[in-house]
Amino acid sequence: MASPIRILTAVPICDGHDSAINTINLEFIRHGIEVIYLGYHRSVTDIVRAAIQEDVRAIGISSYNGGHIEFFAEVVNLLRKKGADDIKVFGGGGGTITHDDAAIMKRKGVEEVFFAGTSLEEMVKFVHEHYGKPRAKRTRPKSADQELAHKLTEIEDSYAAGRKRPTPNAQRRTSKSKKRHQTSNFKHQTSRVIGFTGPGGAGKTTLIDELVLRFLNRNPKGKIAILSHDPSVVGEGALLGDRATMINSQDDRVFMRSMATRGQAGGLSPATHDCLALLAQLNFDNVIIETVGTGQEAMPFQKNGIVDLTVLVMNPDYGSRLQLQKIVMLDLADIVVVNKSDLQRARTAHTEIEQRLEQNRPVRRSFGEGGRKQQLIDTVAKRHRDPGVDRLFELISSGRDGALRRPAAAARRPYQQKRRKK
Amino acid sequence: MSKLGQVVEAVENYDKFVLDQVKRARTDEKFGRELLGRWNDIKAKIPVTRTPTGLPLPRLALPEIDEPGEIARYFFGEGLPGEFPYLSAAYREMYLEPVREIESFEKNAGTIDKKIPQAEEPTRLFSGLMLAEDTNERFHYLTRHQRTHRLSTAFDGPTLYGIDSDADGVFGKIGEGGVAIDTVEDMMQLYDGFDLGSPNFSASMTISGPAPIIMAMYIAAAKRRFGPKVVPKLRGTIQADIFKEVQAQNETIFPIEPSLRFLTDMVEFTTHEMPRWYPISISGYHIGEAGSTPVQQAAYTLSNGFAYVEMFAGLGIPVDQFGPRLSFFLDCGLDAEYIALARVSRRIWAIGMRDVFGAGPKAQLYKLHTQTSGRSLIAAEFKNNLTRTAAELVLAYVNATNSCHSNSADEPFTTPSEEWIRLAAHGQAILLEESGIFKHTMNMLSGSPGMKAVERAVEAAILDEFREIERLGGVLAAVEERYQRSQIQNASHRYEQQIYDGTRPIIGLNRYRDGADEIPDVKLARTPRSKQQLQVDRLAKFKKKNAEKAKRALDKLAGAVERGENCFPTLLEAAEVCSLGQITGRLQEVVGRFRPMV
Repeated sequence: MASPIRILTAVPICDGHDSAINTINLEFIRHGIEVIYLGYHRSVTDIVRAAIQEDVRAIGISSYNGGHIEFFAEVVNLLRKKGADDIKVFGGGGGTITHDDAAIMKRKGVEEVFFAGTSLEEMVKFVHEHYGKPRAKRTRPKSADQELAHKLTEIEDSYAAGRKRPTPNAQRRTSKSKKRHQTSNFKHQTSRVIGFTGPGGAGKTTLIDELVLRFLNRNPKGKIAILSHDPSVVGEGALLGDRATMINSQDDRVFMRSMATRGQAGGLSPATHDCLALLAQLNFDNVIIETVGTGQEAMPFQKNGIVDLTVLVMNPDYGSRLQLQKIVMLDLADIVVVNKSDLQRARTAHTEIEQRLEQNRPVRRSFGEGGRKQQLIDTVAKRHRDPGVDRLFELISSGRDGALRRPAAAARRPYQQKRRKK
Repeated sequence: MSKLGQVVEAVENYDKFVLDQVKRARTDEKFGRELLGRWNDIKAKIPVTRTPTGLPLPRLALPEIDEPGEIARYFFGEGLPGEFPYLSAAYREMYLEPVREIESFEKNAGTIDKKIPQAEEPTRLFSGLMLAEDTNERFHYLTRHQRTHRLSTAFDGPTLYGIDSDADGVFGKIGEGGVAIDTVEDMMQLYDGFDLGSPNFSASMTISGPAPIIMAMYIAAAKRRFGPKVVPKLRGTIQADIFKEVQAQNETIFPIEPSLRFLTDMVEFTTHEMPRWYPISISGYHIGEAGSTPVQQAAYTLSNGFAYVEMFAGLGIPVDQFGPRLSFFLDCGLDAEYIALARVSRRIWAIGMRDVFGAGPKAQLYKLHTQTSGRSLIAAEFKNNLTRTAAELVLAYVNATNSCHSNSADEPFTTPSEEWIRLAAHGQAILLEESGIFKHTMNMLSGSPGMKAVERAVEAAILDEFREIERLGGVLAAVEERYQRSQIQNASHRYEQQIYDGTRPIIGLNRYRDGADEIPDVKLARTPRSKQQLQVDRLAKFKKKNAEKAKRALDKLAGAVERGENCFPTLLEAAEVCSLGQITGRLQEVVGRFRPMV
C-alpha cells in the first residue's frame, strides 16, 4: 500500500480567517489525506520551511485578507530557490480572489485556485488526482533539511509498502552522504534523544515548544530535531496539527517532522524507530520525540532503546489515586511533569504522584540502580517564562553530564524485562 | 460563584420581582391605583405628531392596557424607552423626526453614534485603504457634507497583527483591507486636517490585539499637533476587545493574560485622563461573522462585557466612571432571533450592571452599534444582497440600535466600491427618513406577541449559556478551555451543512438559482506596489532617525512591564519614537507571543 498523500495547509501572515481551512482540513482527512496544518498568520518562510521538512506533495493556502498575488508568488519563488519546486502550491480565498487574480497567480506558478462555490468534493478530487501518483524521480537535495526530509519519506514509504527497511535504492543514495544512515545501529548516535509521552491534552506540545524556545535562546548555534506524532488508522488520513501550536519551533535551527501513526498502537508510527535512528546520528544537539496521547499501559520508548531520557507529562485530572497504579510510564520515566499545575487539583496530584514514585525506589535499588530518584516537576507550560518549565529545562540540560546522563538504558533493561514477565 | 453566576441569579430574581409586582398590583389596591394613575399621566402627556398625509400619531406608542397588573408588567418588565430595564430602548426618542431643530444629542447619547437627519451618509462609514494620506483623503470626502466628523478607521493586516510594513512576507498586504499604520507620523497623516479636540470630532479605531499601542500612537499624534492640553478632549472609540479575538477573530498577539493586562492599563489611563473616550467596544459582530448562532453571539458578548467590568472594578476603578464608557457592537442577520436579540441584551446588561455591580443609570446602558451581517451576503447573484441588508436594517432599528452600519452589496468579493457604498448608505436614509416606519413613533414595531415570544426564548437561551460558562469557572477559564471557540465553530459547521443540504434556503445559491454566479466584473481597489514601497521606505527613515531614542524607550517600557507597573505612560513615550512592530516585538520578548488555539 502506498503512503497517504501528505499536504501542508496554512493561512497567510496577517490573516486570521481559519474557518474555511478548518472545514477543508477535515474533509481532506476524511478522504485519506494526511494534513500538516500550520495554522493562521503564517509567514512565507515558515510555510516553505515546514513544507520542505515535512516533504509534502503540495501546500494549500487559504487567504481572505488580500495580498494573495504577492503572497502565493513568494511561496512559489522561495520553494524554487530552495530547490523544492516539486512541492506544488494551490489555494483559494472565496470571493476575495478574482478570476483575473487567479490568472496572474497561475502564471506565477500556482497550480490551482479555487473560487467561491467550489465544493469540498472538487477540492478532494483535485488533490487525489494531482498529488496521488507516485513521485517522479527526485532531484539532488539542495539543503541538509531537504536531504533529511527525503530520507525520512523513504523510510515512511518503505514501511507503508510493507517493507521493513528502505529500498536498496534508498540505501545506495544515502550511503553517499557522510552522515551514514544505518538503521538500528546506534553506535553513531551523536544526539541526545529525549522522549515525551503522556495522556492526550496534558500539554506535551506546548511544553516542548517552551523548552525549544529556551534551548534556542541559550544555545545560539544549537540545533534541535523534533519527531511529533498524531494518531491515524491504516490507509486513512490524519490531522498533524502540532506545528500550529509550536510557534517557537518554527525556526531554521529546528527540524521538525510530523508523523501519523498509521495504524500502530502504543503512541508511535511503524517507521518511528528508523526515523529516530537516522536523526540521532545527525549532529542535532537534541532530538525530541513526542508520542500521541497515550493510555495507561503505554511504554512507547522501551522497545527501541534510542531514547536517553524519558519525560512523562501528566495532567492533574487523571481520575482517582488508584489510576496512578496502572500507569506504566510512572515506573519508567526519568522525569514526571505535572503540567497545568495552576489547576485546583494540582497540589493533590503532586502529592499523590510523589508517593507513587516513592514506591518505585526500593524496587529499583534491588536491581542495582542505587536508588536513582525520578524527578517530579510542576509546570504551567502555557505561561510565558514559567519557573517550572525553567527548572525542567535546567534539569534536562544538565542531564547531559549530570545525574540524568544516559544511564540507564543498560541498567534499566533487565528490570523491565523482569517486570514484563510478571 | 463568579460574577456571571450572580448575573444569572440577578436576572432570575428580576423576572421574579416583575411577577411579584404584577401580583401586587392586582391585590394591593393602593399600589394598583398609583400605577394606573402614572400610566394615565404618561399617556396624556405623549405629544402627537402628524404624518405627511396629515394622520395624527402619538410620538410614543404604548400597549392598550388599563389593568394594573399588566401595567406593572410593562413598567417593570419592559420599561418605557430610556427607562430601566431598557428593553425597548436606551433613550427616550431615538430616530424620531425632530420636532423643532435637532435636539441636543450630546445629552442623550454621549459620543456614540447618532443619526443626524440632514446628513446624507450614515454617520460612521468604516473606511481605510492604502496609506495614511489616502485614507485621510477618503475621510475628507466622506465628511464633506457633515457638520460632525465621525471617522471609523479600518487598519490593514500588518497593523492589526502589530507588525511593521517591513516584516517578512507582508509586502503585498500593506494597505490592503485597511490603512497601513507603522508610526506616530503615519497616525498624524491619517487624521490630518481634522480638529481632534473638537466636540464635533470623534475617531473610531477598529483594532484589538495591539490596541493599547495604537491608542498611544493616537494620543502622541494628537499631542504633536495640538499640544498636551488636547488629551482630555479626545473623543472616540477603540475596539480593544481581547476576548472576542481569542474566541473568534484570531487577531491576538500576546498571551491572554498580558493582553488583558495591557488593556486594563490603557482603560485605567483613559478613564482618568480621557473621560470622553470609549476605551473598549465589546464586540459580538466578529463572533457572529465567525459563524456563531445569534444566541451565542449575544451571550458571549454580554459575558465578555461582564468579565471586563469585573476586571476593571477589581482594580479599583469605580464602575460608574468606566461603565458609561463601555459600548457594544453586534451583528444583525436574518434569523428570527434578531427580532429581539439586542433588546434582550440591553435588559440583561442593565440588570447585571445595577444588581451585581452596583452601577448607576449611566453605567447601566447597553449602548449599541449594529452592523448588518457580512456573512449573510453572497457573491452569487449578488444584487440580492441589497434586499438582505435592507431586511437586516429593519431588524436593527426595531431593536433600537444607537447607530448602524449597512454593508455594501459587493462586499463578498471586494472592498466596497463607491457605487455600492452609496446604495448601502441610502438604504438607511430611505428607511429612517423616507419611510414612516421609524420616524413618527417610538416603539412603532415593539411588543407584538411574536416579539415577546422571541424575547423569552432568547433570554432563557442566553442564561443557559451563562450557566455553562459559569460551570467552567467563568469567562477566562472557558476561553482557555476553548469553550466559546468550539461552540462557534460547531455552529458555523452546522450553518454550512444546512446551506449544503438545503434546509437553510439561500436565494440564488441553493434556491431559485439562475446560474448567474460569476463574480461580477468589478474594479478592485488594490494598493499599488509603489505605495507599498513608499510605506516601507518611510518606515526605514523613521527607524533610522529614532534608533537611539527608540532603544531607550523600549528598555524603559520593558522595565515597566517587568515590574508590573501600569505600563501605559511608558507606552506613550515609546509611541513617540518607536514603530508599532518594534513595540510589539519588545513586549513579546517580555510576555511571550499568543499561542493559537487549534
